[in-house]
Order: sequence, then C-alpha cells, then structure tokens
Amino acid sequence: MKLLELDNLQVSIGPVQAVRDVSLSLAPGECRALVGESGCGKSVTAMSLLNLMPPTAQTNAARWDFAGRDMRQLSEREWRRIRGNEIAMIFQNPMTALDPTQTIGSQIAEPLRIHKGLSKREARMRAIALLERLAIANPAQRAAQYPFEFSGGMLQRAMIAMAVVCEPQLLIADEPTTALDVTVQAEVLSILRELRESSGTAMLFITHDLGVVAEIADSVSVMYAGQTVETGSLQDVFSREAHPYTQALKRAVPNMENPHRLEAIAGTPPDLRHPPKGCGFAARCCERMAICDQLPPNFPCESTAAHQARCWLWHPEHPARWRESEQ
Amino acid sequence: MLKFIAKRLLSGAITIWFIATATFFAMHAVPGDPLTQEKAMSPAVRAQLEARYGLDKPLIEQYQLFLGNMLQGDFGISFTQENRKVNDIISKHFPISAILGLAAVLIALVGGVAAGTVAAYYRNRWPDRLVMIGVIAAISVPGFVIAGLAQLIIVAMNNAAGKTLLPVAGWGSVNHIWVPALVLGLGTMAYLSRIMRASMLEVLNADFNTAAKAKGVHGLRLFWHHQLRNAVLPVVTELGPTIAGVTTGGFVVELIFAIPGLGRYFVQAVQQLDYTVIMGTTVFYGAFLVLVVVLVDISYGLIDPRIRLHGGGGR
Ligand SMILES: Nc1ncnc2c1ncn2[C@@H]1O[C@H](COP(=O)(O)OP(=O)(O)OP(=O)(O)O)[C@@H](O)[C@H]1O
Ligand code: SF4
Ligand SMILES: [Mg+2]
Repeated sequence: MKLLELDNLQVSIGPVQAVRDVSLSLAPGECRALVGESGCGKSVTAMSLLNLMPPTAQTNAARWDFAGRDMRQLSEREWRRIRGNEIAMIFQNPMTALDPTQTIGSQIAEPLRIHKGLSKREARMRAIALLERLAIANPAQRAAQYPFEFSGGMLQRAMIAMAVVCEPQLLIADEPTTALDVTVQAEVLSILRELRESSGTAMLFITHDLGVVAEIADSVSVMYAGQTVETGSLQDVFSREAHPYTQALKRAVPNMENPHRLEAIAGTPPDLRHPPKGCGFAARCCERMAICDQLPPNFPCESTAAHQARCWLWHPEHPARWRESEQ
Repeated sequence: MLKFIAKRLLSGAITIWFIATATFFAMHAVPGDPLTQEKAMSPAVRAQLEARYGLDKPLIEQYQLFLGNMLQGDFGISFTQENRKVNDIISKHFPISAILGLAAVLIALVGGVAAGTVAAYYRNRWPDRLVMIGVIAAISVPGFVIAGLAQLIIVAMNNAAGKTLLPVAGWGSVNHIWVPALVLGLGTMAYLSRIMRASMLEVLNADFNTAAKAKGVHGLRLFWHHQLRNAVLPVVTELGPTIAGVTTGGFVVELIFAIPGLGRYFVQAVQQLDYTVIMGTTVFYGAFLVLVVVLVDISYGLIDPRIRLHGGGGR
C-alpha cells in the first residue's frame, strides 16, 4: 500500500507552467528525495501537495491519492484538517518561517491546539517535551522565548518540532538545511534522520544537494523543467543513473575520484512559459536524437519498473540501452 | 524598560522647554500686545494693567517669571477673559477636545486597520479599488469641506426621517461625538489604511503566513494571532504623530461643529494675542503630545517582543 501516489501533477501559475508532469509515490516510512536545479518546480510541487498554491494557480493531476483518499476531491475544510496534522512541512528559511510576534512554544503548540484539541497547558507541555527531545537545553525557558532570541540551527529545530508535533504521516522538507551554515546542516540532518527512524514518518526531502540525498533518502526523483525525469531507488539513481540530465548533474558534483573536475551543465533550462514541444532537456542534452525535438518522451513504462527515466534512450524499442546498463 | 521610559520623558521635558521658549519669543515678536485690542484706554489704566500682568518688566525678566510659574504649573490669568485662570480654561475645555480627539483616533485606527486589511485581502479587485479611491478623496478634500458636507448630510437625513437622528452641531451627548470625530479622523483613517494595506500585503506574502497555513491555522485564528499582530506594527508607529495631527486639526472641526473644546479658545487667544492663554495651551499640548508619544512607544513594545526585550533600543 502506498501512502502517496501522484500521477501527472500539473500546476500553472498564469502563463508559467511551473509543474508540467510530476509523478511520484511514497510508501509509509519511505524517504524520497526530490532533486533538481533552482526553478525546476520543487517548491511548487511541495506547496501543491498541501494545496497551498495561491488561487491564481491551476492544479491538475491524473491521480492524487493520499492515505486512501482522492485528494482532488477534498474541500478546503478537509484540507485544513490535513495540513499540519497528516501532512506537515518544514520550510527552507527558519528565520522567516516563524512568526516573529509569537513565542516558540506557542507556535509549536499551535497544531496540537487546532488538530488535537489539547488545552493550552497540555499543548505547551508537549511542545516543551518535544524541544527537549530535539536536544534543546532549558526547553521550558526556551519555549517562552521569541524567534529572534534563537540561533539559526535552533530555529530550524523549532520548525521541525512545529511540523512533527502532530506526528504526521507525511513530512515535506523543502531544502531544510540550505539556509543554515555547514556545521548546523549536519546537526539538523541527523535530527531528521533520527525522527524518521523513531516515528516511521514518510518524508519528501527536497534539495539540490546530492551529498545530502545520499545521507538520508531511500529513493530519489529527479526533476527538470517541471517534470520528474528519473525515478528510482537511491542505488538506481546514484550508481545506474539513466537520464542524461541525472548523468550531467552527477558530473557537476565534485567527488573523491575527481575532486577538481567539475563540469557545469552547459546552457539554461527552458522558459516555462513556452516549454519545448519535445524533450525538455533536449537543448542541453549531448545525446539528443531527431525524435527528441519532435515528441516528448512520454511512453508507457511497465508499471512494475521501479526505475524509470523520461528519455527516448530508454524507450522499449530503442536499441538495447536498457540491457546494456543492466548487465 | 524603566530606563527607556525615563530617557524618553527627559527628552520630552527638553522638547517642552524648547517649545515654550520658542513660542514665548515668537509671540512677543508679533507687533502689538493683548492690551492694544481694547478700545480707548487711558494711559493710566493701561499702565496699571501692564503692571498687573508684568508687561512693564524687561522681556528677559518676563521670560524668567513665566518659566518659574510654569514649573509650578501656573500659567497665570487670561488677558481677554475677565479673571479666568488659564489653568481653569484648560481643565474645563481640554477634556472636551480630548474626548473628541480620542474618539477620532479610535475611529481612524479601527477604520484604517479594517479598510487596509480588506484592501490587502482583495488586492487589485473592486474592494481594494474602492478603498483606495476613498483614501485619495479623504486625503485631498480639505477638512472644512468634509465637515460642511457632513452637516448637510445630517440635515438631509434628519429632514428625511422627520425627526432629529443626529444633532448638526453642539456638544453634550454621545450622539454629538460621532460625526465630528469621524470628520476629524477621516484623513488619519485614510493615511493609516494605506499603511495597513502595504504592511498587510507584506504579511500575506510572508513565509510565516504560509507556514502558519501549512500547520492548519486558518480563518480568524490566522488573522488575530499571526497576520494582524505583525501587520499592525507600522500603523502603531504612526499613531504618535497621528494623534498630534488630530489634536491640531481639531481646531477647525471644533469651530464648525460649535464644540466648546480647547482648540477654539486657542484660536481665539492667538487672534487676540492673549499671551497667557497662548503659552498655557501650547505648553500643555506639548506636554500632552510628548506623553502620548511615550505611551505609543510603550504599547509598541508590548506588541513587538523584539523591542520589549531589548529594553527599547529604538528602531
Ligand atoms: N507564486 C508564483 N507566481 C508565479 N510564478 C511562480 C510562483 N511560484 C513559483 N513560480 C515559478 O515557478 C517555477 C518553479 O518555482 P519553484 O519555486 O518551484 O522552484 P524550485 O525548484 O523550488 O527552485 P529553488 O531550488 O530555487 O527553490 C519558477 O519558474 C518560478 O518563477
Ligand atoms: S529524450 Fe533525447 S534530448 Fe531528452 S534526455 Fe533523452 S536523449 Fe536527451
Ligand atoms: Mg524552492
């Protein structure tokens, strides 16, 4: 049983087709990384999963099931019971995502008050206990403080507390470490890993840092220009990368074997107001073929195939690339 | 916090001294004096009066005398109103101005916050357009025109109803307050709603607003706990100067609506060069405004924890 199944999500904001086809699934307790360069639609996907896009955005999906419900049918009322309760979100910048005029404690306690109907006192006690679990010293005093009295790392822990306090089934983390400095990044990452192990919450971990992916994810979806272009297990995507974009992305990451060679991907992503007719990556792909400009590589894959790439090279009738890499 | 308040009060005292001194000398630089207004007056009577009011002394000595009395809270006796003490004039008429001003500020604050919020919520749609047109009208039409219009509307309303719904002018009941207070506060309301609209728009786009929604916060809770509290901060900052504007603007409204407030006496005193009344009301207003600004600063600290906990390091 999957917890989340999303098929062909499309979101357009005015003329911008920010998300053109995102398909992904999550099993209970699974951690999936969603990677891709800036502007490819990761945050729009995340916000759409909470139905929090501005009213000007138009959202469509062929399938969108969460915990056995068709999310396309939900009323705003039902959504309110899901946000912060069944699906929660950790934002990129804890400095701006916490309300400067409310105490940390009351902000963590708020979802409990709304969703679980706890009294002010009970909710506060739970918030303090959670802060303690996240290794914040003097949690009772800390809970009475305001965001400006916290350091960046502590703020992100407070934000994590705010997100997990109702024990959601799905936690969406939108670049939770990007705004933090390196030492704090590792700390926050280990907290998230620990939480995942202890609570069994499924996680959609959005990042553009491939190093972080290897540390936390079970599976990976790679996004390019509003589409998921490659999907598979961590091993599939990291050691048997199939899509030319994923391959280029990996070449762009400095690693142990070639610490000095860093190939930036030449060219820029397409304008999402006028996305190309064929493959979105064609303009920058070094393996592009005639068909790539003509038709988008949307062909039916075997539904059992856990490793999928949106690329003509992997078409069932394309000469033997699949088999090549599989031996 | 206490140190902060003490500091503000001290700088306020210096401000008041400065206002008093400047007014004193400016007033005496104007040709003529309170006694020239009286018609034929024999030199003997005039000399007697001058001696009584201390006008025969050199200016510097008069200034010293005035400062000394001021420190004891005594502003002397009015020149033009037989034997009325300035302190009595203030204590009798200021409460009327204060009630009017307070009502005006409250109406402006509530109306401005509400209008600004509606405009921001419906950005670029008709409620927003309507509010913005109202703002421009309220700022560009002079107060006395609005006051006159308001009186015409009341008259028309009373005629249509066949009885007195609202009094056209005068003072004495709660119903006497609404219209002049609204007229007095209208410009301020417009100004505040513009500030509120901008800051509410900022809040609606802020990360913490989205994050609160992502927690499931919605409706009134979202508005009270997260949006209003943040958006109202810039409005509260403006409140100090605003109250100043409303009290000075009160003069005209008090005249038009025949309200026996202090403003009317002040205008009259300036016309007749009634030295003691001018000095008394000026210093009194100055002290009042300083107090208001300090109070506003304190309330700002209560809303914004960053200021409260830093002991008011200033923004
Ligand atoms: N509210 C919005 N209004 C208009 N366009 C938007 C809005 N939000 C996002 N977009 C557009 O949608 C596209 C995808 O943006 P998104 O924020 O999802 O990228 P991202 O993958 O999260 O990038 P980053 O790594 O920089 O966070 C961008 O072209 C962006 O300009
Ligand atoms: S479909 Fe063609 S252009 Fe697109 S990634 Fe594959 S080979 Fe490259
Ligand atoms: Mg983003």
